[in-house]
Amino acid sequence: MLLVAPAVLLLAGVALYPILATVWLSLHRSILVFHEHRFIGLENWASLLGDARFWASLRTTLYFVAVAVSLELLLGLLFALLLHASFRGRGLLRAAVLVPWAIPTVVAARLWSWLFNADHGLLPALLPGHDVNWLGAPGYALHAAIVVDVWKTTPFVALILLAGLQAIPPELSRAAQLDGAGPLRILGSITLPLLRPAIAVAAVFRGLDAMRVFDAVYALTGGGPANTTETLSIYAYKTLMRSGDFGYGSTIAVATFLCVAVLAGLYLKLVMPNAGGQEA
Amino acid sequence: MIVCLGCARPPAPQPTDAVRIVFVHQPLWGEPAPFNALLDTFRREHPHIELVTQLLPNDSDVSHQYFLTSLEGQGADFDVLVADVVWVPEFARAGWISELSADFPQTELAEDFLPAAISAVTWEGKTWAVPWYLDVGLLYYRTDLVPHAPRTWGELETFTRAAMKKDPALQGFLWQGRQYEGLVCNVYETLWGFGGKSLENGHLALDTPEAAKALHTLRRFVERGLSPPSVTSAAEEESRRPFQDGRAVFMRNWPYAFGEAQKEGSLVRGKVGLSFLPTASGEPGFGTLGGWQLAINARTPPERRAAAVELIRALTSSEANVKFARAYGRNPARRSAYAALKDTSFAQLEPMLERARPRPVTPYYGMISDILQSEFSAAISGIRSPEEALQQAQRQVDRVMGAQ
Repeated sequence: MLLVAPAVLLLAGVALYPILATVWLSLHRSILVFHEHRFIGLENWASLLGDARFWASLRTTLYFVAVAVSLELLLGLLFALLLHASFRGRGLLRAAVLVPWAIPTVVAARLWSWLFNADHGLLPALLPGHDVNWLGAPGYALHAAIVVDVWKTTPFVALILLAGLQAIPPELSRAAQLDGAGPLRILGSITLPLLRPAIAVAAVFRGLDAMRVFDAVYALTGGGPANTTETLSIYAYKTLMRSGDFGYGSTIAVATFLCVAVLAGLYLKLVMPNAGGQEA
Repeated sequence: MIVCLGCARPPAPQPTDAVRIVFVHQPLWGEPAPFNALLDTFRREHPHIELVTQLLPNDSDVSHQYFLTSLEGQGADFDVLVADVVWVPEFARAGWISELSADFPQTELAEDFLPAAISAVTWEGKTWAVPWYLDVGLLYYRTDLVPHAPRTWGELETFTRAAMKKDPALQGFLWQGRQYEGLVCNVYETLWGFGGKSLENGHLALDTPEAAKALHTLRRFVERGLSPPSVTSAAEEESRRPFQDGRAVFMRNWPYAFGEAQKEGSLVRGKVGLSFLPTASGEPGFGTLGGWQLAINARTPPERRAAAVELIRALTSSEANVKFARAYGRNPARRSAYAALKDTSFAQLEPMLERARPRPVTPYYGMISDILQSEFSAAISGIRSPEEALQQAQRQVDRVMGAQ
């Protein structure tokens, strides 16, 4: 017990205390400019339930998570399989794939905002319907943000899955090959089931990260047009830092935290126990 | 977020009874030498003051966040700060900055400072800051494509149409429609041109015919293809670049774009005219006032406060205004500085600055601008009709301002 005490104390200091302080703040009306700081119980939470902007940003965030993470897993798997095969220049390609992951998100978002530029960007010229302003048209802007996130984090997923692939003993697929299984059969019956723990890890990491997405979207669209790309984190940031409403901003932040926690719980329940069982 | 606070230069040896004051400001870009020379002159003339400068990030939102947390935390680790025009009433109401009416009386300011600059540092009839340098929304036009600067919105549309008919590759009128603070400036300029007001007796009226006309006008440019679809996501640079590449007829932007357009290598060098924004009636229009003011931390103790007032006096003097204009292209806030600069391109900005107007001067501005940004964005990108967006904005604004 004594040996873990420092770790527990450290965690309590850097993780537990800030969370509890934010929860406590969410029970106050706290607006800096007016020196208002008084306990109001659950009033902020009641407003949150009736706040259309909160529900809209929750919907936006969930859509972003669902689409972006699915694409990342799919593309990540493709890349991982490709990089797992042995061919000349594999080392170079592995390094090259990591480049988007290494670029700071805000820099990447600015770069993409020029690529998406409706007048002289590269993408609108290549894509059908090229008079669409990807960053300024409702319905499009969120998808532009998803493209940026997918471009940026697929390498991360690919890397985790590649590590998973390398942990699978090659004898298994060789044995299957001898038994006459084709490459698709091997992928479906051997590789994917054994890769499940790695896929679960990648999905949890990316899912939780995407729930809190801020920088990629904020730098690309600022939440616009008309808040159609406003995620939970952007709403919390604007309320806290621009409006200076610390009570309500904390409420949104805690709500985000709760959503992430629920999602994490679901993941662990649905994916992890099975994966653990298979490993045993 | 981490705020970079690097000392610009090591403090020189000082007499032991020196008063140490700290000045925080954003980077000015360009050569540091002229600014340092100005500070060194101040140090020489005030040997009893030990002046230390600290840099803030060059991002208005991040600086605001820094001031919010540090001033509310009652920190006295800096004495003189640089505030955006829209922060002054907020900081004053919160009691974070020191009232300066005794040091810089309104009557004294009125003698030389431009009226818009004074209104931006005044709240409830008192002085809270001193204007350092200004910005104003302007209309840029291509002297080779249009006969003269358009005076009305109708004329701007006609000229755009005619120029685009001759050269269909042209983009027409560029402005800033991204959901951000710049959009609020663009909309207010149009609204003032239709006779609207920012505030009436402390009431922020948005659900008005003037505001609806303003949003309809801007939206119409997009709908009719006289502004490219990209304006609804454009900030300053997304407008300036195509304009500078010769691909547009008109542009709304801040004065910095003029310097860029006249640089060597610019495709529109010598072909750019500056004018007032258009109005409905044809009278010269009103640009949004931007820029930075110097204020004093309310926690600064009296002996340091006196030194801080000296520093503000030195940095906002007419001579300092002129030096700043020449070295950094910053627009002076004083009429006498424009008189001294009458042979330069600054002189042509003075009439526009004379007619500049501040956004609603209210301590609620930080809370309100978020609402304005999203509703104005909804109207100009066609998500809601202008009337509907304005009603929604009015409802939210009333809730915020009535909440107090």
